[in-house]
Amino acid sequence: MHASDVGLTEAEYQRIEALMGRAPNDLELGLFGALWSEHCSYKNSKALLSRLPHEGPHVVSGPGGNAGVVRLSQDLDVAFKVESHNHPSYVEPVQGAATGVGGILRDIIAMGARPIAVADALRFGTDRHSMALLHGVVKGVGLYGNAIGVPTVTGDIGFSDTYRANPLVNVLAVGIRRPEHAMGANTAKPGQVLVLLGQRTGRDGIHGASLLASRDFDEQSHELRPTVQVGDPFLGKLLMEVTLKCVEEGLLAALQDLGAAGLTSASAELSESSGVGAEIHLDRVPLREAGLTPYEIMLSETQERMLLVVSEENLERVLAVAQDFEVLATEIGRTTESGELHLFYEGAECARLRTDWLVDQAPRRSVDEPFWEGLAQAPKTESGEVPKFRSEALLEVAGSLDARSRASVYRQYDYMIQTRTVYGPDRDLAVLDLGEDGGLALAVDGPGRWAAEDGYAGGAGAVLRVLATLAATGAEPLGITDGVNAGNPDKTDSYRAMGALIRGVADAARAAEVPVTGGNVSLHNETDGESIWPTGVIGAAGRHPHPKSPVPQNLGKVGDAILLIHSGSRDWGASVAERVLTGRVSAYPRTDLENAKSRLKAMTEWVRENPPHALRVLGDGGLGMTLVRMWAESGPSFGLQLSLPEKDLQEKTRLFFNEAPLQWVAAIPMDKLAEVTRRLEASGLAILLLGEVTEGGMMVLDGRYQWSYADLMARWRKPYEEVHDEL
Amino acid sequence: MQIGVVTFPGSNCDVDTVKALTDLGVQAVVIDYRNHRLDYLSAAIIPGGFSYGDYLRSGALAARAPVMAALRDAVEEQKLPVLGICNGFQILTEAGLLPGVLRPNRHGEFRCDWQTLRVAAESPYFPGLRVGDRLRMPIAHGEGAYYTPPGSLQALFQAGQAWLQYTDDQGQLHALTNPNGSVANLAGIQQGSVAALMPHPERAMHRYLGSDDGHKLLSAWIDGIRQEVGHARV
Repeated sequence: MHASDVGLTEAEYQRIEALMGRAPNDLELGLFGALWSEHCSYKNSKALLSRLPHEGPHVVSGPGGNAGVVRLSQDLDVAFKVESHNHPSYVEPVQGAATGVGGILRDIIAMGARPIAVADALRFGTDRHSMALLHGVVKGVGLYGNAIGVPTVTGDIGFSDTYRANPLVNVLAVGIRRPEHAMGANTAKPGQVLVLLGQRTGRDGIHGASLLASRDFDEQSHELRPTVQVGDPFLGKLLMEVTLKCVEEGLLAALQDLGAAGLTSASAELSESSGVGAEIHLDRVPLREAGLTPYEIMLSETQERMLLVVSEENLERVLAVAQDFEVLATEIGRTTESGELHLFYEGAECARLRTDWLVDQAPRRSVDEPFWEGLAQAPKTESGEVPKFRSEALLEVAGSLDARSRASVYRQYDYMIQTRTVYGPDRDLAVLDLGEDGGLALAVDGPGRWAAEDGYAGGAGAVLRVLATLAATGAEPLGITDGVNAGNPDKTDSYRAMGALIRGVADAARAAEVPVTGGNVSLHNETDGESIWPTGVIGAAGRHPHPKSPVPQNLGKVGDAILLIHSGSRDWGASVAERVLTGRVSAYPRTDLENAKSRLKAMTEWVRENPPHALRVLGDGGLGMTLVRMWAESGPSFGLQLSLPEKDLQEKTRLFFNEAPLQWVAAIPMDKLAEVTRRLEASGLAILLLGEVTEGGMMVLDGRYQWSYADLMARWRKPYEEVHDEL
Repeated sequence: MQIGVVTFPGSNCDVDTVKALTDLGVQAVVIDYRNHRLDYLSAAIIPGGFSYGDYLRSGALAARAPVMAALRDAVEEQKLPVLGICNGFQILTEAGLLPGVLRPNRHGEFRCDWQTLRVAAESPYFPGLRVGDRLRMPIAHGEGAYYTPPGSLQALFQAGQAWLQYTDDQGQLHALTNPNGSVANLAGIQQGSVAALMPHPERAMHRYLGSDDGHKLLSAWIDGIRQEVGHARV
């Protein structure tokens, strides 16, 4: 076998020989290929990610584990993380997406937490094939989440030709655990038993990490279909119940799920993070079909498997728990003091490697200070002419793919099971009622178009929007998770674009004083040399003060004042409306990050102390579409009477459609206007009175533009499959 | 009074159902699918989920589990009140304890949504629920299109077995309010002491979750069990 057969370069091979002092055998080379792949080693992104802020008062454990963990209440930890399954979902959308959900759920379970929510962030092209992919992906997400009984409570979707051959399927999962049930992969001790739990190992997914997820696509990519795994949510549920029961009974010394690179990464990463070695007898691994070689057993990505580390005295009980659920549990080896991964097949040694070679010694790209500093530089871009305001523009934006209602997607997901969903996917964020432990707010966002021209502004903008979304309901952010999706890192432009995106996330998170507790990087989202827009999917978990009665997101009451709360900018760059009305995407506006924290804090405190009748973060489609979404919740018996101060028609367009950071739309009693204005202006926010809530199903602007509820809703509620009139 | 919540390996609404019964002040006991004895129960619920993964046909394998033989005996010999929810409905039709079958939704998609229902027939097992009453509850299923052979529908209505129907918010029946392609918009069926519905009453226990009409339906059922227990079974 050659280095290229396992996705390694000649230079990497030389390094392996130098480390080992000998040539690796084929199995050993395969292990290096898997763990030194982009997907497992983060060789091109780790130095950038290390610049993210990870510390915060609520952080229990940050990056490095299977998921980040924050403390929600004295008695409850929340584990959460976003992960991508982009490449498999293009090759086989239903199973690619289903196993994406299964995989991130096992990451949460591996922290000892019970999954309580899933969120999906999806990006597709706009052609017919993309709509078929969308159909398959949504089916796959539902297939796994619905069956395993975890609600898909919120999500995010976006469309652009840039994703045509590289759709993005990012899934965020959240779990809860009692602090005393904390579990991880870093607590194994020498002399303990390694138990492989779950599915029999088959030939599915071999080279998924090294060849599928760590390379660009080309016209031969369909031959990679056998590298995609198949999910079994029924077994996934049993695996979850066995694992969590063992956790609750205190039977496990350590725990690691089998994901990318299967047993290879599970055993190596568990050993390395615990500071132990492992001796594994591959002939003991239960197989789905006879005749798998040691190489195939180590590299298989068969789903629904967990690696448990159990002390001798708990072994019998662990096996009994598994048997009660009729899940296969097999002793496959032991932890040792050696610091080596030592593999045997039928008594004969077949591989012997130090785990730090596999996990820590992968060649990684470094990032020096000048490069990092340079990533914050604003690109020189031009913004084109802004079209004059006209009433049809709102109808066009309402019916555009990026601004449309997501209902045709989320109604295929069970979003109510576990009976905690107070706010579900029809809102800007999910609010879950956790009873005595309080409430959890969960928001996910990250418009790719914002980063198309200026990755830094897009990354920062996505962080600010999820935090503004939490603030709108009075939730306190505990941590964020970042899903970075970008092109081929070997190309200067793609690498720099990813770097700028991460720099933007880092600066905004630092400015807002919210830690990034974990995340995921998916690179090589590139086909035939064309990269996607760098896309940062940001998820935020927050503590909600009164989850049973979150602030409404409708139009409040008839007679209420409608306000735009903003931060000064009316730059409509990278807005949905700019794309729809001009066909261009210019740079997303940058904002002064120094004031972000105080503005977010001012909003959170206002909402907590003196909640408005309704409040919504300014979303895709700007002020116009935010009003449409508020109206959709109030229904056709409500209406709006509005006027904009600008006489200039281009200024009107900018005001009505811009998506600049840190803006909200509120409905408050008219007699509170002065008080609210005083309060928010004192914190550097600006208030614009737009008009008032009326009766009667019409929105009237400046006395001359008007829209009926029925017309707007007919555009906004169109399912995604109807794309013939798009772009 | 003890109500059994019958669980299969892939049941996933069992916890929510136990929580709902507990909220209603009833003692809920989880009955594992391997159980052979149910005669100490006052009633049983088969909750929602994907009993055995349901890769074959929803409920097909569960209907053949040991607990279902015991349940059949308890229904036939003691008129044990049984309520099937979602997958529980599918299992009860597969087991032949209710007439008809549930087919894949006509549009081919899983559907989760809020849905208004209308009570189409009264029953001693649900005192207080009157014909025409409206109930708002979530649905969440991929195979909920109720089907019964041509010619059998009229008998179903005449016997009062056609129990619940999907309607619009005003309680009007029409094709647009049918979320899955069920015949005659049927959402729930009853026969003797056995009743079942596709919607999830256990998810509609509080107004802050969207509706407390599930509370109303389950309370009525528990009242019915208390009355039956009082008259016939003690």
